Amino acid sequence: MSGSKPDILWSPHHPDRYVICDSELGLYRIGPVGSAEAKAGTLPLSEETAATLLAINSDTPYMKCVAWYPKHEPECLLAVGQANGRVVLTSLGQSHNSACKELVGKEFVPKHARQCNTLAWNPVDSNLLAAGLDKHRADFSVLIWDISSKLSPETSVAAEKIRLSSVDLDSSTVVTKPLYELGQNDACLSLCWLLRDPKLLLAGMHRNLAIFDLRNTSQKTFVNTKAIQGVTVDPHFHDRVASFFEGQVAIWDLRKFEKPVLTLTEQPKPLTKVGWCGKLTKGHSNNDALIYYFVFWPCKCSFKMINVVVSLLCACIMLHGLHTVTIPMQVSHMKQCAEDMELKLQGNVQSVVYSGIKNIVKTTSGTTETRRCWSGSDRQTDVPRYHSEERCLALRLCGWISRGTDTDVENFLRSLEQEHEWERAAAVALFNLDIRRAIQILNKGAMAEKGDLNLNVVAMALSGYTDEKSSLWREMCSSLRLQLKNPYLCIMFAFLTSEPGAYDGVLYESSVAVRDRVAFACMFLNDAQLPRYIDRLTLEMKEAGNLEGILLTGLTKDGVDLMESYVDRTGDVQTASFCMLKVPRQITQKSALHAAVGFTFMFTGSYQPTFVFVLWQVFVSCNFCGKSISYSCSTIPHQGRGFSQYGVSGSPTKSKVTSCPGCRKPLPRCALCLMNMGTPVSNCQGTGKSDEKVDLTRENKLAQFNNWFTWCHNCRHGGHAGHMLSWFRDHTECPVSACTCKCMQLDTTGNLVPSDSS
Amino acid sequence: MDLHILDHRLRVTSISKNGLVNFTHPLIKLIFLRNRTRCKFFSLTETPENYTVVLDEEGFKELRPSEHLQVESAIWLPLNVVSNGSASSSSQAVGVTKIAKSVIAPLAQQHVSVFMLSTYQTDFILVKEKDLSVVVSTLEEEFNIYKEEGGESVPVHCQDVSNAIQPTVHPVLIPKNQFCVMSLDPDTLPSIATTLIDVLFYSSRFPADLLFTSSSGELWRMVRIGGQPLGFDECGIVAQISQPLADSDISAYYISTFSFDHALVPEEDIVSVTDMLQHQRNEPATS
Repeated sequence: MSGSKPDILWSPHHPDRYVICDSELGLYRIGPVGSAEAKAGTLPLSEETAATLLAINSDTPYMKCVAWYPKHEPECLLAVGQANGRVVLTSLGQSHNSACKELVGKEFVPKHARQCNTLAWNPVDSNLLAAGLDKHRADFSVLIWDISSKLSPETSVAAEKIRLSSVDLDSSTVVTKPLYELGQNDACLSLCWLLRDPKLLLAGMHRNLAIFDLRNTSQKTFVNTKAIQGVTVDPHFHDRVASFFEGQVAIWDLRKFEKPVLTLTEQPKPLTKVGWCGKLTKGHSNNDALIYYFVFWPCKCSFKMINVVVSLLCACIMLHGLHTVTIPMQVSHMKQCAEDMELKLQGNVQSVVYSGIKNIVKTTSGTTETRRCWSGSDRQTDVPRYHSEERCLALRLCGWISRGTDTDVENFLRSLEQEHEWERAAAVALFNLDIRRAIQILNKGAMAEKGDLNLNVVAMALSGYTDEKSSLWREMCSSLRLQLKNPYLCIMFAFLTSEPGAYDGVLYESSVAVRDRVAFACMFLNDAQLPRYIDRLTLEMKEAGNLEGILLTGLTKDGVDLMESYVDRTGDVQTASFCMLKVPRQITQKSALHAAVGFTFMFTGSYQPTFVFVLWQVFVSCNFCGKSISYSCSTIPHQGRGFSQYGVSGSPTKSKVTSCPGCRKPLPRCALCLMNMGTPVSNCQGTGKSDEKVDLTRENKLAQFNNWFTWCHNCRHGGHAGHMLSWFRDHTECPVSACTCKCMQLDTTGNLVPSDSS
Repeated sequence: MDLHILDHRLRVTSISKNGLVNFTHPLIKLIFLRNRTRCKFFSLTETPENYTVVLDEEGFKELRPSEHLQVESAIWLPLNVVSNGSASSSSQAVGVTKIAKSVIAPLAQQHVSVFMLSTYQTDFILVKEKDLSVVVSTLEEEFNIYKEEGGESVPVHCQDVSNAIQPTVHPVLIPKNQFCVMSLDPDTLPSIATTLIDVLFYSSRFPADLLFTSSSGELWRMVRIGGQPLGFDECGIVAQISQPLADSDISAYYISTFSFDHALVPEEDIVSVTDMLQHQRNEPATS
């Protein structure tokens, strides 16, 4: 046993297969537990899944690293790097592929023996296999082999002065001449081919990361860093690369390669591997990348290792989920609002830019009432439906109807069907009085893969709809609907069984998305009921800090309140600041000023246990060591220390940190009081005697904010927010002498005047 | 080309042949129990005369003073040349030969004494701490010089000048032994520890088929430099050997020990090396 660390490799083509490399190679397949093939060699992974051992290969001793052939055929071809630097091609399981047979057993021998640290197949030209070796005083450490190369052993051996021992002289399978030799006099610890150009190879060398270009091997781009382990490129964003060093992960942007764009907080245990999350969930934008990393516990037992890997993969999926619900959805809302409102503005009706549905429906006028027939039947409904231009806009904001004059929901229904949201689609169809379409959708849902057969039963119940007031159907449905688990199915029957105008069963079903409820309200509530309902819902959203409420409030003062409450609840400053970047200048409320200035502070914190998985994407990094200055508390975020660590919470009694927890170098000083960052403001110079009458609660809030650290993004000078604010009340130039930067004027929010200060 | 001044402060010591028994414990600790000591640099060379131990100050604390232990008073700093990819790869010559012209000769001209340690992976050039400013000013033109402090590389610049002295030529001795140069994966150290201990302290035969990392079966011959113990102050010893080797493009390992210097040259080149050195020995006499 060569003492290598155990590793796990996922098949590039079968998501259910993986290889465990320890002293030998084992190919496993993941399947449901307790299936017929439960036999020896099955490892339980979780309650539902188990891994079955398919093949084992112990032909390659002294294994140091393994790489899986990236192409479909030959499927199970593996390259194994050995402790003596040789790379051997081997396969797992039976293969009848002749190409594979030819390749298996081929060996690639470096001129000077030393450990092979890493292997990487070229993803495009899969004949190329890069091997990263330890240092040798006279040799190269990155060798690129052509696995298809035919060799003439006699000449090459003589030329390279290699005297292979008699055992090795099975020369038909031994290749000694690499296609490329790179990285002289250095050790190579990790390798990956760059996806933006298959001729570029990124290598983690002994002290630096280097990019080699195969078209011109004498040139290389490199950057000195310690984070040289496990380089890996983001499959969805080809300029983004991750590497790590001990417990720290560095994210690089190849377009700006001088420094890591991001350093992830230190893990308590050294990492052994990092990777990018390969699969993105539906509707996920490509830019929302995710990195997972895991730590192997010092445990020899490979079985335990698998468990760790799998459970951490789950954690990573969970993390992914949180991201999906928080940021992108809200951002898309914001976009939608802005765009649609602007469209409306062009129509010159009124200035509704950035205002939410709450404001829109307040000004509603010219509402018409129609009583439509159930489509597909002549029966008249007694359900009044309301129309107006404003309501139409609101529906558009809710996403029910698309832009333009089209008021048909068919497009929306189709997109819901595509996303397998059968119940929601059926409910929307029903609210548009198309009961036949609703039934059709439910049928489709029941037939679909993994569909719920109960949907058929619901469809049957739906088809029995009668508008007779005292029918058995009505009686049973109104009571039994409460037992339906899906909120959309529930509100469908609530709608059918309620009196016109009294739709509380629909409107106050809190598990139904806000936009669907609002859209429903816009269709079926009259001019008196609608604003009342919207007001009540807005208040509810604000109190709960539910970002869905942005739809109602828009980017108004209400919206800022909502955002504040959201930040209070979650600590997710990033989302809030991203949304707030769009706050228009017209909003001059003090709270908005605070929100805008405060949110653009590049602080981040999460003090809710539910959010500990959310990655910290933005943080304050130390000038000297580049680590987050809050990293020491990040490993234990649930203890709720967050901001207080560096004094920004404003409580002077808390222990203050005035030096970087990573390298112990002092944090920058406030340009005005010359105290190090992290020192609380002793007295607010800004609030003189005249301001003392300001009520106490506001005073407290201000004091907290005064301790925040702020700086100009142009001249990089800064200090306590309170000091800065008071300085710029009287000055336009940066407080640092000889700096002529007009910091505050560069900041758009800096020109705002608090509404109550005049 | 980059020159790194490594973050080690080294002592050069020698243990006499019959005194080894007194140092078995600290040596085993330094070699095999690396996590028990804070020693980061350790080299042990056995020659017929003595054992030369080069180690950093942390490791030096482990060696108890004894009549069998000789210590060179100076602190030595290891230098390491890193070709940052820009170097041409045409030359097949390795080791001392490659840096002979760029490092060894200029240092010899500036009267800087060097202590060479060639390893499988790289060559360390040890210079006395007091000579560092001269080293930096001498090599500044050719190299980007970095000083390593706590893992970070810090660029170094200096201004200083010294003058040159003509070196004496030392006799050489070329024994018939063949040498093998190998490296070892640190992870496998425990598994061969008993064998190594046996070789180091109890017997002298190195068992065959032990180190799996020796696949290219190159064999090397040794040239021992010096008839009298060389001492540590004389400069130009490495230069007088490495210069002719560099001129003929012959690879070499060069290992300095407490008493003598040793160069390893490829077996197939030993004849030409012998001729060359013999010629060099005769030349000063005739001229």
